[in-house]
Formats: sequence, C-alpha cells, structure tokens
Amino acid sequence: MKKILAILLAGMMTATALVGCGGGDASSKTDNGSKADNGSSDGAAKIEGSIVDDSYFGDEGTDSKPVTLKVWAPDAAVSLVKEQVEAFKKAYPKRKFKEISVVAQGEKDAATNILNDATTAADVFSFPSDQLNKLVDAGVISQVAFKDAVTEANDEGTVKAGTLNGTLYAYPETNDNGYYLVYDKSVVSDEQAQTLEGVLEACKKAGKKFIMNAGDGYYACTFAFTAGVKIDGLEKDGITQKFVKYDEDEAVATLQAFAKLIKDYRGTFQSLDVANIASGFAGGKCGAGIDGSWDTASNQKALGDNFGAAKLPTINVNGTDKQLISIFGYKYIGVNGSSKFPATAQILAHYLAGEECQLQRTEKLGWGPSNKKVQENKAVTGSPVLKAIGEQAKNACIQVNVANTFWDPMANLGNKIIADTCNPSDAAAMKKLLNETISNVRDEG
Amino acid sequence: MIKSYKLRRHIANAFVYLFLIVMGFVWISPFIYLLMHSFRGGAEIYGSTIIPQEWTLQNYIDLFTGSGGTASLNFPRWFLNTFVVACFSCVISTISVLMVSYAFSRLRFKARKKFMNVGMILGMFPGFMTMVAIYYLLKAMGLTQTLVALVICYSCGAGLGFQISKGFFDTIPRALDEAATIDGATKNQIFWKIILPMSKPIVVYTVLTSFIGPWTDFILAKIIMGDARDNYTVAIGLQLMIQQDFKNAYYKQFLAGSVVVAVPITLLFLKMQKYYVEGVTAGGVKG
Repeated sequence: MKKILAILLAGMMTATALVGCGGGDASSKTDNGSKADNGSSDGAAKIEGSIVDDSYFGDEGTDSKPVTLKVWAPDAAVSLVKEQVEAFKKAYPKRKFKEISVVAQGEKDAATNILNDATTAADVFSFPSDQLNKLVDAGVISQVAFKDAVTEANDEGTVKAGTLNGTLYAYPETNDNGYYLVYDKSVVSDEQAQTLEGVLEACKKAGKKFIMNAGDGYYACTFAFTAGVKIDGLEKDGITQKFVKYDEDEAVATLQAFAKLIKDYRGTFQSLDVANIASGFAGGKCGAGIDGSWDTASNQKALGDNFGAAKLPTINVNGTDKQLISIFGYKYIGVNGSSKFPATAQILAHYLAGEECQLQRTEKLGWGPSNKKVQENKAVTGSPVLKAIGEQAKNACIQVNVANTFWDPMANLGNKIIADTCNPSDAAAMKKLLNETISNVRDEG
Repeated sequence: MIKSYKLRRHIANAFVYLFLIVMGFVWISPFIYLLMHSFRGGAEIYGSTIIPQEWTLQNYIDLFTGSGGTASLNFPRWFLNTFVVACFSCVISTISVLMVSYAFSRLRFKARKKFMNVGMILGMFPGFMTMVAIYYLLKAMGLTQTLVALVICYSCGAGLGFQISKGFFDTIPRALDEAATIDGATKNQIFWKIILPMSKPIVVYTVLTSFIGPWTDFILAKIIMGDARDNYTVAIGLQLMIQQDFKNAYYKQFLAGSVVVAVPITLLFLKMQKYYVEGVTAGGVKG
C-alpha cells in the first residue's frame, strides 16, 4: 500500500513539473505570435530626423489608451535617458503618456532577462550586437518600423550587423563596443604605444605589468585574427562558424611571434581579468593594458592626466609590423515584440537612437555614436578614446554571427600561447594548435 | 618501534592536531580575508597583498550612504527589505513548522502516516524545480516583483520541514499531555502552555533556520524580482555589485556588504544561544 502511494505521489510530482514546463513554453509561444502584429511596413509614416509623423501612433496615446512603457538602459545612462524621455514626451504634445519608466538594466544581461519573461520585460531596451541572434531566434524582438530612415542616418556597418536575413531588427545606438590599448603616459610614450614590443619594453623597464586577458576568448581571438584567421559569418546551417581563407604558414609564424614575445617578457605580460587594469593603474602596478570602452571611466579616473588611449599596437612578424586585429561590436536599441504599445515603442526607440540623443550621450557619457552626422561632430573627433576605438574598428572583425562554439576554443588558444610550456620555435606544435582550435570552433572534432 | 606509550600518544596527537589546524585554517581563511579586505583603503580595486596596506572604514560608510557609486544600488534599502522578509517568514514558518510537528507527534488521525510520507517525498525534490511554476502562479496573482511574494515562497512550504521538531516532540513524555488533559486542558492549550515552553532548543533552531533563509536565497529572489532593484534582497543586490558594470566602483563595498549581512544573523544567534544549553525536559516528570 505504502509503495503504491509513493509511486503515485512521485508520478504526480513529475506531472506537475511537466505542467510547469509546459506553462513556460505556452507563454513563450504567445510571445512569438504577438510579434507578427508589429511588423509594420517601412516608410509608411513621414519621418523628419528622429521625429515621426504623429499619425503613426494610431489609437495609442489617446485619452482612452494612455501610454505606459518601460525602458531599460544601462546604469550610467539612466538619468540621461530619463531626460531624453521627457523631451520625447514634449516632442509629441498631442499624445497622452501615463508613464514611461526608465529602469536600470545592464546590457550584458538584457537578452537573458527578456527571454525569462518577455511580458514583464522592458518595451524598449538596449543590447550589444552579439545578442541579436538569440533575440531573433526566440522571437522576442520586433523589427524596425522605420527602416529607410534608420539605414540612411546610421553607419553602414551598424545597420548591416543589425540585419538578419534581410530584416533590420534594431535601431543602432553606438559603434564603440570593443577594446583598445590603454596606457599610463608616464610609463609608455605615445610612440612606444604603436608597437607591442615598445609597450612591453617600456612596462618592463618601469617594472610594471602589461595586462591582457588572454584566457578569455573575447580578447584571445585577437591572436587568431591577427594571424589572418578571421571569421566570416556562419555556414548555411546557421550554427557553424566560417573562416576566411588564410595562409597557414603566415598564421603559424604570427602565433609564434606572439608566443615568443610573451615568453621574452614573462612577468611583464600578465593575463588577468580586465578589472585589474584600472586597479593596477591606481596602485601603480600596471603600465598598460588592453581594455574596453566600458572601463574607460575607471581607467581615466585612475590615471588622471596620464591617461593614454590608442588603437591596438602592431607586432613584428619576421620583419614586418602587423596590426593587431580585434573583435568589435555595436549596441542597439530594440523593441520588445510583446509590447502593449508597439507603435509608441517604435517611435520612442527611433527617438532615443536618433541624432540628438546620440550626440547627448556622446557628450555626457563618452559613447561612440553610430549616427553618421554625430560621428563627424567635434565631441567624437576630439576624443582620444573615441578616436582610438574608431581606428581600431577599421582593424576589427565584427561581432555578429559568431558561433556559440567560438569563445572556448579561442580562450584555449590564448591560454596555450601564454603558457610556460609553450615553445615558440616549435612550428609543428603551433600548427597543430591552430588547426585544433579551428576544428573545435567549427565543432568538427 | 617506539616503546613508550606516552611518546607514541604524543606523536599521534601531534599529527592529529596538525591536521586539524590545517583544516581549520583552510576553512577560516576566506572569512579572515573577507573581513580584512572589507577594511582595505587605497585606490586599488583588488588588493595586491594578502594583508591590506591601508585600513579604512570608508567602504562601510560608502555602503550605507550610497556615495561613491550610482544611485540605483541601494544597499540600506536591500538590507531593510531582507530584514522585513526574514522577520515575517521567520514568524510564519516557525509557527507552522511547530504546529505541524505537534500534530504529527501527538495527535492520531486517519492517514497520519500517509501524510508524513507525502511530506517526506515532497521534501526530497529541490525547491527550484518548481521555480517556473511558482513564477507563473505568482504572476497570475499579480505578486511578482513584490516582497509579499518572497514571504509566501519562504514560509508557505515550511511545514514540510517538520521531521526534526517532530522527533524532538516525540521525546517529551506523553504523561505530561495526559496529566494536562486530566486537568482539563485542550490540545491547543497543551501545545502553547506545556509543550512549547519545554521545547526552547527546537524553537530556537527553527527560528534561526527560517530567519537565515531569506538572507542566503538567491535563485528564487532573482527570478521573482527581475529588474525591480528597489525590492532586491541582499543576496541579489550583492551579486549585482560585482557585475561588470559595477565591480570597478563597488568591489570594496561588496566586501563590506558581505560582512554586514552576517551581523543580524549573528546577533540573533547570540541572543538565543543560551536556550540551546538549557535542559531539554529538565524536571518535566519526576519518578
């Protein structure tokens, strides 16, 4: 009797668990369904700059249907975005807004949090380019309503990276999501910062560290890209990484050069988390590092007047200086597919991604704009950081359509190159490592 | 071969103590590190030395005044939230655990054994297994992103943890109940006036475990709260502090916060500790 009861109970529990899962699936399906309503036809509304013709609102924002929206912005931008939202309300005086709240939400977790429960997530949110695939796959992001205007106003690269299968899914917001060389001007001179050899020599002389997180695929892919092994989108199956054609001998030679340089400067070259760079500058233990735009403020605070920024340096491979190639991404503003006010959300996203708002963010937060007009503004051309990022962007692979299997093998490559056991003169071993890395990225092993 | 028994014993003891010292050190070193570095001054984010070179109270001051960071990370608020949730769920779950245990220990009713087995089996499943279901149920009730939801989650299933207190009640002689019944006490009176006053150790144990729960739970609170930072508890709040966007500014405050979290639990423990040592049923039945 007891046994039967126990079995029954266990069965019941399993059933409940399955029902729980089923519930989750069902609701995400409805999310998919509601997406279709938002696919608005391009160019139907009249658009002037970031202001859209009032008729596009439809019945949203009328007395019977006042607008309630939620916006997700990264913490640093929250107060500015709040001001911009107020300006947005003033720009459409005929419409009634009940509440447009701006909630702090890190861009890194934006996709994860939307996928958790799209119906309570923000209507308008910002996210980095590498999350686009995930958002589109799950059907939680609606396509851009004002495609022509957005395409015309923004940098070609940012529009291209926001487009998937011919559909533009998000409003470009920045083109600064990448890393560059940051250095202490009292340790490394501007000229030395041009070459990796110079940077390492200067750091060694001063007894300070050079920090690059070579154990993280995001930074370690620089080794492969510089060696000519660049990514080229995905294969037709949609999951396998494609690489450009490369010269294997040259690639191996480049990796050997990296390994040799790192071996020669053992102790100076440190592979640590990037947060150690700002910390090291403040403590006087770090001379230079490879760090991203997101840490610019803390690095500037730590170094003060000695803050130096430049594109990544070159490395000497058998007599020729080769530019380090990085991975580089953009940030976008997306519209939630299950928004209750899809038209207003589109108009707001368009406004926030527009010229005036981008300029304000560039001036106040130091973000690199994607808008072509803002890119020519003094705020951009006069900033050493944005200049460094801009120059590095020309020598970068774009972080879009990157396979999930890309990061770990790249991290492994980085770890192997910086390891004590690595022998830079062993070309055969390096060749094997390179081929292993590529076959692991392509998941062929 | 060592002949002297005394010497042999000393050597054996020396090894045992050495082993214990090493184990003890390994166990306690993270706490010492945390405590020391929560008082670390200087501009460095991560300390480069094991023992800090500068000492300061600034990290604690920043933590509670909110200076040195953005306004959206509000540790005092999170601390208060957690405290309120902990107090409510502590009271509710203590009462429900003790009542369930009393019923199972003293009362005889149909399907008592079966109910106990059901409780055992349900208790075997990890709580987060039903997380998705809990989330959608709370959402249907409009309770997501509220502290009430947390209190419900932490205290409503508490009755299932009856085994330990039931075992304790079983050790209290039934003769006491019988004597009270003869004197005219109801079951309810027996529970409140006879059993509970004699069960202080288990009451203290139940209070402590149910109070600590909200301070340490992460997964459920994270799922329920989502982006409502004002309603975060300390566990999710502290985790937020070491996210990429914040760790440069908040790492040292995070260390200080981790120390502060231990304070209310420690205070409660110290306050209640003396009941632990008091006799269990001392003087309950004579002869």
